[in-house]
Amino acid sequence: MTSFKPTRRTLLKTGTAAAALATFGPGILRHASAQDADLAPYKSAQIDWQQVSGETITVAVIPASYFENLITLAPQFKALTGIDVRFEKIPPAQIRQKSVIDLTSKTGTYATHAADPMYYALYAANKWVEPLDTYLNDKSLTDQAWFKLDDIIPAWRSANGIDGKLYGMPYDGEVTIQVYRKDLYDAKGLKPADTLEAYMSNAAALNTPNDRVWGAALRGVAGAGQNMYIYPSIFREFGGDWMKGGKLTVNGPEAEAALAWYVDIMKKYAPTAAANWNWPDIADAFSQGTVASYIDAHSSASVINNPEKSKVIGKVAYARWPKGPSGKRTTSIWNWGFPINSALPEKKRKATWLFIQWAASAETQARTAHRFAGPTKRSGVNRTSVWKDPDYIKLMNGFGENFVEAAMGALQDDTDVDWRPRVPQWPAIGDTMATAIQSALSGQATIKAALDDAQRRIEPMMRG
Amino acid sequence: MTAKRLRVFALLAISVVFLLAWAFPIIWSVLNSLKTDSDVLAYPPKLVFAPTLDAYRDVLFGSGSILPNLLSSVIISVGTTVVTMLMAVPAAYALARLRFRGKRFAGFYVLATQMLPPVGIIIPYFLVLRNIGWIDTYQGIILIYLSFSLPFAIWLLVSYFEDIPFEMEEAAYLDGASRLKTLWRIIIPQVRGGIAVTVVFVFLNAWNEFLFAVVLSGNTVRPVTVAMFNFVSVEQTLWAKLAAVSVLAMLPVVVLGVVAQKHIVKGLTVGAVKGGGRR
Repeated sequence: MTSFKPTRRTLLKTGTAAAALATFGPGILRHASAQDADLAPYKSAQIDWQQVSGETITVAVIPASYFENLITLAPQFKALTGIDVRFEKIPPAQIRQKSVIDLTSKTGTYATHAADPMYYALYAANKWVEPLDTYLNDKSLTDQAWFKLDDIIPAWRSANGIDGKLYGMPYDGEVTIQVYRKDLYDAKGLKPADTLEAYMSNAAALNTPNDRVWGAALRGVAGAGQNMYIYPSIFREFGGDWMKGGKLTVNGPEAEAALAWYVDIMKKYAPTAAANWNWPDIADAFSQGTVASYIDAHSSASVINNPEKSKVIGKVAYARWPKGPSGKRTTSIWNWGFPINSALPEKKRKATWLFIQWAASAETQARTAHRFAGPTKRSGVNRTSVWKDPDYIKLMNGFGENFVEAAMGALQDDTDVDWRPRVPQWPAIGDTMATAIQSALSGQATIKAALDDAQRRIEPMMRG
Repeated sequence: MTAKRLRVFALLAISVVFLLAWAFPIIWSVLNSLKTDSDVLAYPPKLVFAPTLDAYRDVLFGSGSILPNLLSSVIISVGTTVVTMLMAVPAAYALARLRFRGKRFAGFYVLATQMLPPVGIIIPYFLVLRNIGWIDTYQGIILIYLSFSLPFAIWLLVSYFEDIPFEMEEAAYLDGASRLKTLWRIIIPQVRGGIAVTVVFVFLNAWNEFLFAVVLSGNTVRPVTVAMFNFVSVEQTLWAKLAAVSVLAMLPVVVLGVVAQKHIVKGLTVGAVKGGGRR
């Protein structure tokens, strides 16, 4: 064995090489990983991935870790298909505005974008996006046996469908569940609530503002995807039907009871500021130990388990959304899906579909989730098979007791595709309802007056 | 302590309270930018904490560095200001001094363009820029910014030009100066304060604009106002980084304000001193 004796020259050489690697290394390594990535699982599909090689498409996404993971894998997609993808990150509130402007003007700027399920009614009515069955049934574009559409969570698929036709392929999604502090519940001998009534009494039992612990928190800030993300579920659980007798009705007796429950719990057991909170604020408060329980998207689990911020790691457990007086549970299912912009020329539409097929495939879902090399793992994968993968389950159950069971149970059994009225006028209706809910919460209007006012404003929208 | 001194102290105390209330958002941003994420969320809020520059390091040199965005903002704001001023000064002078047919209408028309709500014109702007291939370009955004900064600048400058006594110009003409030379040598130095005020406002408007920027920009041109929103994701708000970016975004404006302060004070008081020389 020869011993290594560094001379000035070898040290200099090593130093230069190290500096070069530090400078160019990440680029070289990234390039190499794209080249060396095992593309065999994709190539087993019976389609020609290279059929529109050379195309460039632009994809609009929101800034979120689950899209960041996908962007990291884009070189693999390029190696597989020869298609260049330009990603544009747009804040969630503006992505809707920008994509609607693009779709309305038929400029085809974004081949696809992260789309809200509630927009498909509007998109489909105007033929702004393509029905995806055309692409799914085209044997040259899709190997159905490989892609396995049925494996994609049915609830998210139905949320992205209009009249049985799929318009957006779910990429990442969420479902609302109960999140609670197991240590506080155990200390008082409480169980996670099975009914809304029990949820209220649990909140009452745990509400000790003097110790800076509030019993519960629900989204309070006004907006179509804010307080109108939580209220519709309560409305459905109280037996409400948006389209009573074919007419959009928001002020029936069920609506009054549902809104009364929401206002009651928020006023009595939530921090006063929660009236203006969105879910990141709730998750932040929970992670600081000031909220005993909340009902919101399961994806908040990563925030309340962030070791850099959270003080409640190891004390968190999960349960399904409590049942309402109607005896059923209705969670707010939601996902970011990818539609195909109709304004694109045919070749670009094909390229877009190949991108969507790649992003939604079981292989890419696994590579962006439990098999992802980076620090952030996704909790919203779109495939039942991945949810049943032992590696994924192990990783997800690190978020706390009963996480996968609660989320999976909710996704499979507690969903109701009509938890919000799926009409093209939704964005305006959602905002009107959101304002009504807030005026009831702030005490500016009685519950009945707020709902009657909303009904009065919504009626002309449905006529127009 | 005498009653008088007590009164002075009371007044001072009240002033400090008002000053703190006024400066609170800035103090809050600066403090949060120096905290860790867990310190930002601490309740009750921490006034004593170990300051760290991590947030600044991340937003400046991390993977999502905002340096290119700051550069975008500088190019857009400086570009808008320069082009606006080059056009607004002669236009304002003409409106204030020249007699021509349709002057009244021209003045009103310039103002009328300010009455359109921005949301109402965003789609036409988008289509126009899209058709000429100027979406996500500096020239595209500057062109759109001109559409609201120019009328604003013209109307602001007109009042300054009107305040200059005619006699000064007439004296210059008698000495044989041309109109252009008079404008350059006599008039403009008189309205320096007004020009400084206008420059600051035009720059500020362009620097802070968000609505048009978010729609008309893309990956190539992305001002800091738009990039800032990337710290507010659907998953969480990165308060420390958001605060650090806000502080960084405030700096150029503060510097401009300090540099232009002398002129601004002069510009704001010019009317008061001269009592107006309008005819």
